[in-house]
Amino acid sequence: MSEQERRPEDDGQDFANAAWSIPSSLLAGMAIYGGGGWLLDRWLDTSAFFPIGVVLGVVLSVYLVYRKYGR
Amino acid sequence: MTALTVLADDQFGAPTPDELFNLPPIIAGVDWFTKPVLLALLSTILVIGVCWAAFASPKVVPRGVQNVVEYGYMFVRDQVARPFLGKDADRWMGLLVSVFFLVLIWNVMGVIPLAQFPVASHIAFPAVLALSIYALKVYLGVKHQGAGGYFKNMMFPPGLPKPIYLLLAPIEFLSNMIIAPFTHAVRLFANMFAGHMLIAFFSMVGFWFLFEKLTPLGAGVGVVGVIMTIILTGFEMFIQFLQAFLFAMLAAMYIGGSLHPEH
Repeated sequence: MSEQERRPEDDGQDFANAAWSIPSSLLAGMAIYGGGGWLLDRWLDTSAFFPIGVVLGVVLSVYLVYRKYGR
Repeated sequence: MTALTVLADDQFGAPTPDELFNLPPIIAGVDWFTKPVLLALLSTILVIGVCWAAFASPKVVPRGVQNVVEYGYMFVRDQVARPFLGKDADRWMGLLVSVFFLVLIWNVMGVIPLAQFPVASHIAFPAVLALSIYALKVYLGVKHQGAGGYFKNMMFPPGLPKPIYLLLAPIEFLSNMIIAPFTHAVRLFANMFAGHMLIAFFSMVGFWFLFEKLTPLGAGVGVVGVIMTIILTGFEMFIQFLQAFLFAMLAAMYIGGSLHPEH
């Protein structure tokens, strides 16, 4: 689609988009990297990668949310 | 009435989900035809009928049922469609009005006497609606942004350092393609399920302590149960409306996001 002028409703739309996609981004980050860590743990018979993965996932999602909506 | 079977015991037992939601077929032998299916069919007929009555021969100066339904239409247009679809709003009003009114009637069935069962508390119903919206979202995204463009816009938001995309793209994909439709359905389902459980529990408390086993000490508990039932019914009506609104709003948001990539 071609570039459009900003309409007044865009602000409300951006806010709602952010409000609704932040929780699912956080959840997705935890699930992807926590899940990856859990699989690594199972494979290598360790127990450290799952918590590391969850924390990494949260950090990455917060960074993503900050860069996408935090301006 | 399956809900009353627990009263056969001598002690109060809270209603279990199995008693409340696992209802027997209405006609013996026709296993699929249960109360939620009947209510879903009635809701469909009701929505079609009301819209038909209102808009079959519309007047410039609306009267009666057209006036009421037009008010609902305007609400969906101004609060749901326009904020997310802008100038495309009118094209999608048919879908959004249908979704909003259908979900609203499904939910309101939870407090209508005799019906008293929120259709969406069986997850199959919201799941089918959410899946339809999801299919539409992916179709529109591929149609308007191209197959590659759609996934590129979704998974690679502009303005990030290159290496970080490798880490963030899976998060965006999971969040948009799996978690979003899942929560779309589960949000409606869980609200209706929990609301029905709460109302059933407190009305059971009132019924048990005031009618089944009336004792001087228990009467107070029964009165509290009745009062809580009334308060929660009011609260539940608010939640029913809110969830119908949110379901339609998220549908509009997904459609809008597919028509125009995020900026």
